[in-house]
Amino acid sequence: MIELHRVSKIYEVGPVKVPALSDVTFTIDKGEFVVINGPSGAGKTTLMRLLYREEEPTDGEVMVLGQPLAELTPREVSAFRRTIGVVFQDAKLLPGRTVYENIAFVLRVTGVPRREITARAFEALRAVGLSARAQAYPAQLSQGEAQRAALARAIVRKQALLIADEPTGNLDDGMAAEVVSVIKDIWAGGTTVILATHQSRLAAAMRRRTLVLEGGRLVKDEG
Amino acid sequence: MLGFLLGEALRDLRRAGRVALTAVVLITLSLVALGGFWLLSANLGRAVSEWKDRVRVILYLRREPTSLEQVVLLERVKAIPNVAGARYISKAEALTSLKRMLGKDATVADNLPSNPLPASIEVTPTSGAATPDGARVLITRLGTLPEVEEVEGSVEWVERLSDWQRLLVLIGLGLGATLALAAILTVTTATTLVLHARRDETEIMRLVGAPEAAIRLPLLLQGLIQGLLGATLALLALVVFYRLAAPKLEPLMSITVGLPTLEFLPTSAVLRLLAAGAALGAFGGWLARGRSAT
Repeated sequence: MIELHRVSKIYEVGPVKVPALSDVTFTIDKGEFVVINGPSGAGKTTLMRLLYREEEPTDGEVMVLGQPLAELTPREVSAFRRTIGVVFQDAKLLPGRTVYENIAFVLRVTGVPRREITARAFEALRAVGLSARAQAYPAQLSQGEAQRAALARAIVRKQALLIADEPTGNLDDGMAAEVVSVIKDIWAGGTTVILATHQSRLAAAMRRRTLVLEGGRLVKDEG
Repeated sequence: MLGFLLGEALRDLRRAGRVALTAVVLITLSLVALGGFWLLSANLGRAVSEWKDRVRVILYLRREPTSLEQVVLLERVKAIPNVAGARYISKAEALTSLKRMLGKDATVADNLPSNPLPASIEVTPTSGAATPDGARVLITRLGTLPEVEEVEGSVEWVERLSDWQRLLVLIGLGLGATLALAAILTVTTATTLVLHARRDETEIMRLVGAPEAAIRLPLLLQGLIQGLLGATLALLALVVFYRLAAPKLEPLMSITVGLPTLEFLPTSAVLRLLAAGAALGAFGGWLARGRSAT
């Protein structure tokens, strides 16, 4: 489902070259739950951004859902992103819209017929246990609830792949456990999950395949 | 999808607030300037056109011709290039006409020992000859006829009226274009402000794979709505101006250029002003839309 072959990414800041990833190679099969672990600055976020084609590698090839991402046209990038879900450390909910509207917004901008939107939005909200908070605004949510709303938005199109970049980074242990539990439920439903975290304890508690990054290099692939 | 895009555009307009309002006002002002001068120019154009139709060259004859000579002379005049028509006016007809003009003073003419008025031919030039140069050539040519004593006719003042009309069009276009430029820049500013306000939304839209059209069309629509709103307000202002000013201006126009009534802009001009407003707004939105990529 996902293949990275000798991928490197170097950021150029003026004359200075900053390597973020070096020679990373791995494969993830359909239905896997993979944790990307490593300290801050290890290259986790860069790796995630490569997976949803927010960045392009300096070297190497990235294949996701059978598509070589470097070859996609802008229109194809949009179509590709409709097949994946992405969540971030900050939930990135739109503050002026309710939880329901945040999720419906994704369906509307991607051309889902109006008559299907309510049912699909509530299905996603039920999946993350947030249907009772549908009319709440982001400012009225706890951080854990906000992250669950972001997860609902990421799976509302029944995406085959969920990319979660530090989804528990801002949460206390209790809320983090809630969010991880929801992500596991999503995975159990058949979605392939890639979760990046700097929290080694959390990564170990997952008991899933873990790729460890250090200084932009893949140093361990275990589980 | 269109409903969604329109909803987003209206939401963006509310976000832009006063800047969007300023853009609408500037579009209104530019189209009022353009439309106002267009209105005046269109009416002057009607006067020019009517006067051009009424332009006549009179050929005063040395003596009254016989019936046969009249026919031959009229045929020769009609055969001259740029003559659209010719009508013979006898000495008696001219006197009757003079008496009609004198009205109650017509008895003055009755006291004359003989009819002093010459027979004449009234020549109607073609529209191509109803210009100072065209008329001058025609008058010179008609003056060479041996039967003709004197030629009378000039279209220079009609041409001066036509010059005024062209000047009005130019002033309208100049003023309208300057204000239109300001309007475009303001729409661009309003749209850029909206872009800044909705950058989170734009980022999320891109991440979830929204088509570029869904990201950029609301910006164009936002400009389009501002333009249409400005054009509608401008037309309303022009209608009010016309209703209030026309009754006061009509007597003056009637005396000076012989135009008894002033008309409002024709439907085609109204549609063009609306289209111009929409185009101004959409262009402003389009200029800003490039910044949505960043």
